Amino acid sequence: MTALLDARGVVKRFGGLTAVDGVDISVGPGELVGLIGPNGSGKTTLFDCLSRISAIDSGSISFDGVDITRHRPHQVARLGLARTFQLIRVYRELTVSENMELSIQWRRVGTARLFGRTDAATRRRVESLLEFLLLSGLRHERAGALSGGQRRLLEIGMALMSEPKLMLLDEATSGVNPTLVAEIADRLREVNANGVAILLVEHNVGFVAELCHRVVVLDRGAKLAEGTPRQIMEDPAVIEAYFGAEGE
Amino acid sequence: MKSTTSGKPVFIARRGGPRLRLVLVRVSVGLLVALAVLPTLPGVGDSALFTLTLMLTSVAVAVNWNLTGGFTGYVDFGHAAWFGIGAYTTAMLMSLQTNGPQIGWPAPPAMILGAVVAGAVAAAIGRATMRLKGPYFSIAMLGTFVAVREIVRVSGGLTGGGVGLTLPPYLNRPLFYYIQLALVAGLVAFTWWLRGTRFGAALVAIREDEVGAEMRGINTTRLKVIVFSFAGFSTGLFGGLWAYQNTFVDPDIAFVELRTVDAVMGTMLGGLGTVAGPVVGTVALFWLRELLWANLLDYHLIAQGVLLIVIVLFLPRGLVGIVDPRGASVTGLWRRWIGRGARENEPGKEP
Repeated sequence: MTALLDARGVVKRFGGLTAVDGVDISVGPGELVGLIGPNGSGKTTLFDCLSRISAIDSGSISFDGVDITRHRPHQVARLGLARTFQLIRVYRELTVSENMELSIQWRRVGTARLFGRTDAATRRRVESLLEFLLLSGLRHERAGALSGGQRRLLEIGMALMSEPKLMLLDEATSGVNPTLVAEIADRLREVNANGVAILLVEHNVGFVAELCHRVVVLDRGAKLAEGTPRQIMEDPAVIEAYFGAEGE
Repeated sequence: MKSTTSGKPVFIARRGGPRLRLVLVRVSVGLLVALAVLPTLPGVGDSALFTLTLMLTSVAVAVNWNLTGGFTGYVDFGHAAWFGIGAYTTAMLMSLQTNGPQIGWPAPPAMILGAVVAGAVAAAIGRATMRLKGPYFSIAMLGTFVAVREIVRVSGGLTGGGVGLTLPPYLNRPLFYYIQLALVAGLVAFTWWLRGTRFGAALVAIREDEVGAEMRGINTTRLKVIVFSFAGFSTGLFGGLWAYQNTFVDPDIAFVELRTVDAVMGTMLGGLGTVAGPVVGTVALFWLRELLWANLLDYHLIAQGVLLIVIVLFLPRGLVGIVDPRGASVTGLWRRWIGRGARENEPGKEP
């Protein structure tokens, strides 16, 4: 199976600190992969590299058969890679609907449509996604007025608006109440069942184990382990990275 | 504001909705008709029309500044440079004075070319400076403004240097007034249309979160440069018109820092990132300044400063924000400008 996202030997340094150290990671079409690791292990930095927000120092990244190592983030997004952020990024001064309408697949927006208004098809898609994410009652609210959990859902909705082939979700359940976590898990399963691949960064290991087909573990910027959730949970190196060596 | 499950009532009521829009359209049309019949009224002489024309020029500059400063969140401290470039290009093309290039073009093509030159220079400068953020961009633009003024001053063979250039006089005040009124009305209508398009919404997205906008597929650099160039073009056009009315340009009257300051203050007073804000704010500022000058001659600049502080503290969304809070708040813009918001959302940071 050809990988949808394929990163080889990714290195990212900040001065003398190597935040990501030669990581190989791949995600196949329709796969749901978890990326876990202790605080400071480089998960979010790796996400920044994969989504091209940060330039890498060495290595290569390809997405859907295209070498994106030197692409800008908007070019990557137009290829079908969507991303959410650890610290939620929604347009706080705009309404929920406006946030969604602005997250269309911009590849389809030529110069003529750039100066057009939101069309009926986009509005229908916004309605249906807001319904799916239980946000339809809030469509006219300013995004800044939503709760943290609702903003998480909105950000996922914005990623879905762009008709992604792969979603990079950074801490999708952080700061979300347990009821909403279950809802998010259900929605992600459904999205994935519809063919959208997901790479998920999470601190909630239980959430990852329940949801993901495969898990990659980072520690101090390097890949520590990779396997099924069960293999990862039983891996002594992973246990040591999370809880320290036995007898310490 | 509290969330509702039914959605509409709370926020729609606060945001005004279609009813408020209808009221605003009616008020705007009424105002436009009143301004159109004004020159026919007894007692309205050339002097009053000249003052009103200058006020319309300030409105136009503020509307253009708002496209980058208000909608896109890039606070341009050098916007008056485009005005000066438009004014000088027009003057150089029209003037027959011996210390200039002696081209002698008629006014319309000279003003249009003046606007094109201002837009082209804005595009070239914008491509470089719009990579900068917050105060770095603002200071780079202030530097650009000063540099352009000094280039004009030392290029004596073309620009007349410090002596300036005289344009062929044409003192039909009502005509200038009507042209200016039509152009300002067209510019405001264009801004209103633009805000409703995907392009306009994308500009607001850039202001709200540029990294997020880029990650969602918006080519932020392209959009920023387009809007910056258009603002330069449009302000350049009004610069050319001003030069023709004034019949004389020199570096110190064509390149005036106060023109940018007025645009910033007028937009903040009216409402940043709104269509009506720069218009309402600049008119209010214009008359307020007259009032302060007449009554507090020695202290009118201090009073203006106090006014600015009061706006930031009590009316962060400006006068228009009282009825329509869709624009940006001054405090929000300030936070983004100094980078506090950006640092909080910096990618790659663990909590």
